[in-house]
This record gives sequence, C-alpha cells and structure tokens, in this order.
Amino acid sequence: MENSSMFIISVYSENQVGLLSSISNIFSRRGINIESLTVFPSEFPGIHHFTFRAITTERAAQQVVGFIEKKVEVVRAFCFPDNATSAAEHGILQDYLKNRNQ
Amino acid sequence: MLKRLTGAEILLESLIAEGVDTVFGYPGGQIITVYDKLYGYTDRLRHILVRHEQGAIHAAQGYARATGRPGVVIVTSGPGATNVITGVADAMVDSTPVVVIAGQVGNAMLGTDAFQETDVVGMTGPIDKWTFQIRRPEEVAPAVAKAFHIASTGRPGPVVLDFTRDAQVGIGLFDEYQKCTHIRSYALPAPADEKAIEAAAELIDNAERPFVVFGQGIVLSHAEEQLKAFLKKGGIPAASTMLGLSALPSDFPYYVGMAGMHGNIASNLMTQQCDVLIAVGMRFSDRVTGKPNTYAPKAKIIHIDVDRTEIGKIIPVEVGILGDAAEVLERLTERIRFSFHDEWASLARRYDRVETEKVSEPETAPAEGPIHMGEVVARVAELSGREAIIVTDVGQNQLMGARYSRFAHSRSFISSGGLGTMGFGLPAAIGAKTGAPEREVCLFVGDGGIQMTLQELGTIMQEGTPVKIVLLNNNWLGNVRQWQELFYGERYSQTHLLNPDYSLIAKAYGIRYRCVEDRAELEDALREMLSSKEAYFLDAHVCEMGMVYPMVPGGRRLDEILLNKEEWYRDGK
Repeated sequence: MENSSMFIISVYSENQVGLLSSISNIFSRRGINIESLTVFPSEFPGIHHFTFRAITTERAAQQVVGFIEKKVEVVRAFCFPDNATSAAEHGILQDYLKNRNQ
Repeated sequence: MLKRLTGAEILLESLIAEGVDTVFGYPGGQIITVYDKLYGYTDRLRHILVRHEQGAIHAAQGYARATGRPGVVIVTSGPGATNVITGVADAMVDSTPVVVIAGQVGNAMLGTDAFQETDVVGMTGPIDKWTFQIRRPEEVAPAVAKAFHIASTGRPGPVVLDFTRDAQVGIGLFDEYQKCTHIRSYALPAPADEKAIEAAAELIDNAERPFVVFGQGIVLSHAEEQLKAFLKKGGIPAASTMLGLSALPSDFPYYVGMAGMHGNIASNLMTQQCDVLIAVGMRFSDRVTGKPNTYAPKAKIIHIDVDRTEIGKIIPVEVGILGDAAEVLERLTERIRFSFHDEWASLARRYDRVETEKVSEPETAPAEGPIHMGEVVARVAELSGREAIIVTDVGQNQLMGARYSRFAHSRSFISSGGLGTMGFGLPAAIGAKTGAPEREVCLFVGDGGIQMTLQELGTIMQEGTPVKIVLLNNNWLGNVRQWQELFYGERYSQTHLLNPDYSLIAKAYGIRYRCVEDRAELEDALREMLSSKEAYFLDAHVCEMGMVYPMVPGGRRLDEILLNKEEWYRDGK
C-alpha cells in the first residue's frame, strides 16, 4: 500500500455555477475527505482558483487531478505535496492562457 | 437575417443547423413550449415518440452508435429528467455522443421544490461530460453549439442542457447559427508526442510476440483502415473488446477474437503470453483484464488513448500515447518495420481448435435437445450474411450475441458495455434502425431485459420501425442464474421468471410474432423474420439451463478459463 500524505490540489477554472459540486464529487466518489478548501478569483481575468487540501496517496491525487481536468470548464489542475510552493503553476498557466486565449 | 424567436424556436433552429433530423423524446409540462414549436418543424425534424424517457435516451444511444452522429433527446423536467439518468451514465462510460435537452421550471421557481422541479445539474454533473443550465433565450444557440462540440469531440460522451421555462418562452435574437469550434478550457486532441511514438515503435520492432487489444476507440476515431494497415505491416495478431467488435471484419486475417471474461480463448491466452501489448482505444475494464495485477504479466504495455485519465488508470504502462487512434496508428505504422510473427500468430488457430471443439461447436450446432442461445445467434449470422447491425441487451443474450455474431462492416455491434444496462436493447435497436434504415437491425434480448423496456413495442407500432427482435427466452435471469449455479451452490435466489404470453403482447402491439421451440423450425423462422419488411418478434424458447462459456471467473487470471462446469483450461491443458 502506498502511503497517504497531505496534498494540495490546485484548480483553475472558468466561473461556472455547479462546478465546485462536481469537482468535490470527484473526491467523495473515491472516499477522499477534503481537509480544507478555498475558492477565489485568480490573478487571471475570468479564471477562478480552487485549492483543496486532502490526505491521500500520490497515485489517487494524480488520478483526481486527471478527472478534474476532464471537466470542460476546468482550465488546468495541479497537485503538489503540501510542502511545495505554487510558483510553477503561475508560469504554466500564463503560457497556457497565452496560447489558448485568442 | 436577424429574427426574433422564442428560446424554444432557437433550440429547434440550432438543432437543424447542427444537422439533426431526428430527435427522440417525450413531452411534459415544462417542455411543452418546445413541443408546441416543434409542431411547425415536423417537415425538418422527425420526432420519435417513445413510451418512457429511458427509451428515448437508449434509442438516441443506438442512433449515435449506428450513425456516428450525436443522438438527441428531448424530455421534460423532474421525472422526465431523472428517467434519462441511467442512459446518461451508460452513454458516459460507453463514450456515446448524446445531447439531452431537459425542460426545467422557471428561473424564479428554481430551488423552491416547485412541481416537477429537480436538481438536474447536480444529478447529471458526476455522470456526464458536460451539463449546462440555460436561463435566458440568448444563451440557447451558444449552449447548443457547445453541447454538440463537446459531445462529439475528444472522447465522446453525453451532455445535458437544463432548459428553464424562461429560456424557452422568452424572446431572443437569432441570427446565423455559429458552430462552436473552440472552448478555452477544453482542448481538442493534439498530435501525439513524437518521442512516445518513437519509443512505442522501438518496442514493437523488438517484440517477438506483439499483440494488439483494441476497443471502441477505433470506431470512434474512424481508425479501422489505419488499424488494418498497422496489423498487416507489423504482422501482429489482434483482439477486440466487446465494444470494439465489428471494427475489424470477423474474417480479418490477424483478428483472433474477443477479449475478456467470456472472450475467445486465443485472445485471453495470447494476452498472457505476449511480450508487447498494444492497447488502442480501450480502457482495461475489469471485464477485459480479469485480476488487473495478473494481466499480461510478460508484456511491456503501450496504451494509446484520447483520454489522459485512462492511461495508467488500471494497468501501469511502459509507453502511454495520448492522442487520436487514427492519427497515432498511422504514424506508428510509418515507423515500424515490416515483420512476421507467423509462429506466434498461429497459436490462435491452436486455441481456436480447442474452443471450437469444447465450446462453440456444442453451443452452435447441438445435435439434439432444446435450442441453444448460441445456435440462434450463429444462424442469424449465417442467414443475414454478416450484414446486419446486431443490437443486444445485457446478460447471456449479449455474450452470445457478441461471441457468435459475425461482422463485415464497422458500427455493426451495439450493446451496453460499461454500465451493463438491462433494458438497453429494445430502444437501442429502435434508435439504430431509425438512424440506419437501409440496414437490417437485429436485436438479441432476454426475457428479463425485454420486460424492463417492453413498453417501447408501442414506439415500434406507432413509428413502424422494422426491427427484428429475437427473444432468447429461457424463463430465467440467465446470467445471474449462471453465477448462482457456478459460484453460489445452485441457490437460485430470485432469478426464475414467470413470463407473460409474448404472442399476446406482440399481438396487442400489432407486431408479427412467431414462437420457435423446435430446432427443425428455427431456420425457417429466422428466414421469415429476416425477409419481413416490418417488425418481427421471434420468441425462441431456448435451453433453460444454458450457460455462456468459456468463462474467466471474476477476479481470476485470464489464463484460468472454465470450458464447462468441470473443466478448466490453462494453456494447453
């Protein structure tokens, strides 16, 4: 069995009613508790930023991220061990939006 | 030209602009405006009135699977919407493009427990590809455009539009319809990674016993010819998942049969022996893999799929290639060397001989006793010249239909795979025939499943849909009974059915009917059925204790195969 530890799952999405509920379903369907949750407008116009903290395995966390990204309104999702910083996200998202924002 | 139209009219105009000519549906209080407007569109939109909303969505699924175009469903709010839920979940797991338009109460009533109000967005979100609530008439056309784009691109799936009354009756401006081609947060499949293709080609070139397992992804990506070219150049034998059936013609030289629990011995044993397994457009369902950590133990695995979450989800892979099957196979074919693996590929014939002798021959050509299920399916395959679209329900009828049908064309096998929805068959056959009227559509269904959506015989009656229904009638919920016989000490708990007189039921719906109990009559009855220009209900009374073999019992390795109740087959023994 893989060890469980705290992960931050960080999600950037369009502003869409009901999206939080369908994202949190992806956790609950796998029996993963959400330890904390914040939602706020990101530094990118029109894009919301969710951060979830959850105790799970690396494999499950990656899978959750994959399924979250499959949601049509989700722009990108990332997962980090709780101790990492999110500076990397900013750069990746900036590039991504530059390419897709035409 | 700018027109002032109600949201309901904008919906119908948008559907027509998307190329829709047929919708499946059922009216009701909160969709009545759409039905009112539909009255003036009957020359351009054919509406098939079903008898239950579940019938509408399964029919739309059958239509989509037969044609490749999204099936469209229109239902009312509340129970209308909840009745399509099973079909939405079914279409999701089987990657079927379906657009559901469900009525909803007025905006001011949302969240008040109004009559026939239910939280459609909340309920369908976890089981569909996209859900959207349309609250204003000007949102209608863009929502429909997005719905069709999302349903039919990437890995296809169902979308649900929750269409509030305000959006239906309100007036909006409608100009030229704009198809959706770009959604910022939804990326279409990109060309596959060159490095991954290179790595895969190298593995394939160095393989001694390469093996392909393909799924419905081949059909969805129109990759049939690319798959053939790939197999020919690499000299690689290939097995199909149940949903991949008919993507290759049954007599294609490299084709070794169906994989999985009730698949062909050759495909399962070769999976366990191959040294490189190339999985294309399939998702390693537990019905295909058996116990996952014993699957293909000698193989390095290459997985080609358009859905990122499928790669590595069940089976760890050596090389994952994210991309569209047709594009990836074409590029892989260019890269690999011409190869022959004749000795390896000929193993299939050896295993086939065992299967024919031990299982298929006794099932399809028994000398005496009651009619067997496999026998009926095999005769249909012969008499229809492999031309028919075969639709099945779920259970033994499905497994027999999958095992003994033979195909010449793609999109010829329609069945509920991932969700295993009993009651799918009859409405799906109606939808398939509606979408492909030029083709023969033959349904195999059990006496359990047909009664789950039996009311759709009324749809056949009213629409005159000439589907051929073959009821494999054994008075049991046969597949569960088979498990009870094999694994639950023959304790037949709640699996015996007292059936109605189907001749009276068929008569009530004005459908031609014939009952067959004797083998001597079977061929004549099937000929009569297949030559009938109208719907036909063939009630085949089959062996009550019929079993589907071979079988890899759940949670076992693929090389632990039951040939019959006593006999196991483990690689040549």
